[in-house]
Amino acid sequence: MKITVDMARCEDHGQCAIAAPVAFRMNDDGRLEHDGEVSDAYAAEIEEAADVCPVQAILIGD
Amino acid sequence: MTTTISELGPRLSVTDPAFSITSDEVKQLREQSWYATTEYGIAVLRYEEVSRLLKHPKLKQGSAAWPAHNGVVEGPFAAWFDSWVLNKEGEEHHRLRRLMNPAFSHKLIGGLVPRFQALAAELIDAFAAKGECDFTAEFAEPYAARVIAIMLGLPEEEWEIIARESATLGLAMGVTLKQDLPEIEKALERLYEYADALIADRLQNPGDDFMSVLVRAQRDDDSLSEQELRDAVVLLIFGGYDTTRNQLGLAMQTFMQHPDQWDLLASDPSLGGKAVEEVMRVNPTVRWVTREAKETFEFQGLTIEAGTTIHLYSESAGTDPRVFGEPSFDITAERRPHYGFGGGAHHCLGHFVARSDMSEALPLLARRLRDPRPLPGDRWLPDSGNTGPITLPISFTPAP
Repeated sequence: MKITVDMARCEDHGQCAIAAPVAFRMNDDGRLEHDGEVSDAYAAEIEEAADVCPVQAILIGD
Repeated sequence: MTTTISELGPRLSVTDPAFSITSDEVKQLREQSWYATTEYGIAVLRYEEVSRLLKHPKLKQGSAAWPAHNGVVEGPFAAWFDSWVLNKEGEEHHRLRRLMNPAFSHKLIGGLVPRFQALAAELIDAFAAKGECDFTAEFAEPYAARVIAIMLGLPEEEWEIIARESATLGLAMGVTLKQDLPEIEKALERLYEYADALIADRLQNPGDDFMSVLVRAQRDDDSLSEQELRDAVVLLIFGGYDTTRNQLGLAMQTFMQHPDQWDLLASDPSLGGKAVEEVMRVNPTVRWVTREAKETFEFQGLTIEAGTTIHLYSESAGTDPRVFGEPSFDITAERRPHYGFGGGAHHCLGHFVARSDMSEALPLLARRLRDPRPLPGDRWLPDSGNTGPITLPISFTPAP
């Protein structure tokens, strides 16, 4: 599945990295890094990451 | 060239009873420096620095040691405080947060909007004809407490118990914690009884409501233990009640100073969401967010020693002229984000609920309570930490 993050909205709270560490990570500067594509096997946690984002910046799918 | 905190000014006396975090003194200091030193450590005054430090990897949430600093190291209160997801760090925190998050999702909250609207209308109906009210006692308190009752599935007529016991627990955030402890622990016991009954009920009668989702929270074969559940339910009652009550009162205070914005909100209820954001930018109940340095590090030429307490001033950041220009209050403006819900790993768990219930209440209040004005007799919590009106008498012209 495809993951898109609206980096203009993203505030680096890191809630997605807590919900779905498989695809989202905070780097040493506290900035978000994420994968663009992950296996559908992780759909549940990716959806949780999108749900929990305080600014709703995560889009799943094309 | 770096400096250490002890070497420099400007200094704020934040434990002085007369200290006000929204005073001109703080605003003048903000022009001199991005931070000030205080009795606790440092206070961060400007938006960019608050934004970066709020989510800084070298900092952790800073209130875990609060009971111990006040001589309370064991017993039910100390154990409950230690259980808070807010006071956990690292994987222990992340595990709890992952298990609790789904119950707080905006999808689940969305279904409660009609009930929030009906509740606001019912409360306003009860006092509107008088043309005056104590906004805290007659609206903010019952609204905040009954929203929690709705979420948990408690009988709404028991809202006064929620309000009273939460207020008693709130004494624990004050410096008289130790002497108030017996009373605090009685309130805690009472709220645990509610939590236990709710948990037992949802285990027997599972549904799709918030409490059912929380009770069956599960991830990778892990779930919340019964103790974690009861601790979490009491935390959510406590954390949700006081803050919402205070923030509604602060919203009324701000709008009474900006009648044109109140009129605008009355005429366009779809501005409710943006009104909440704008109020929380200029008048947030959580006046400071606390962090503690996990290790010594450099930040903007300043050496911050391990263990330093850092207070991030939300109102000072939200009104920083470098980012927001001249002082203004405009519910139609596009703004940078405020930090009234904190941020980072500890970003407020209940923000979707708070945003949703307040964005329903405010436009309805604006339509029904025309031309609100303050009456004498208002009393306020100290203007630091968490603030808000204890009583807020107002007059208004009732409208249908």
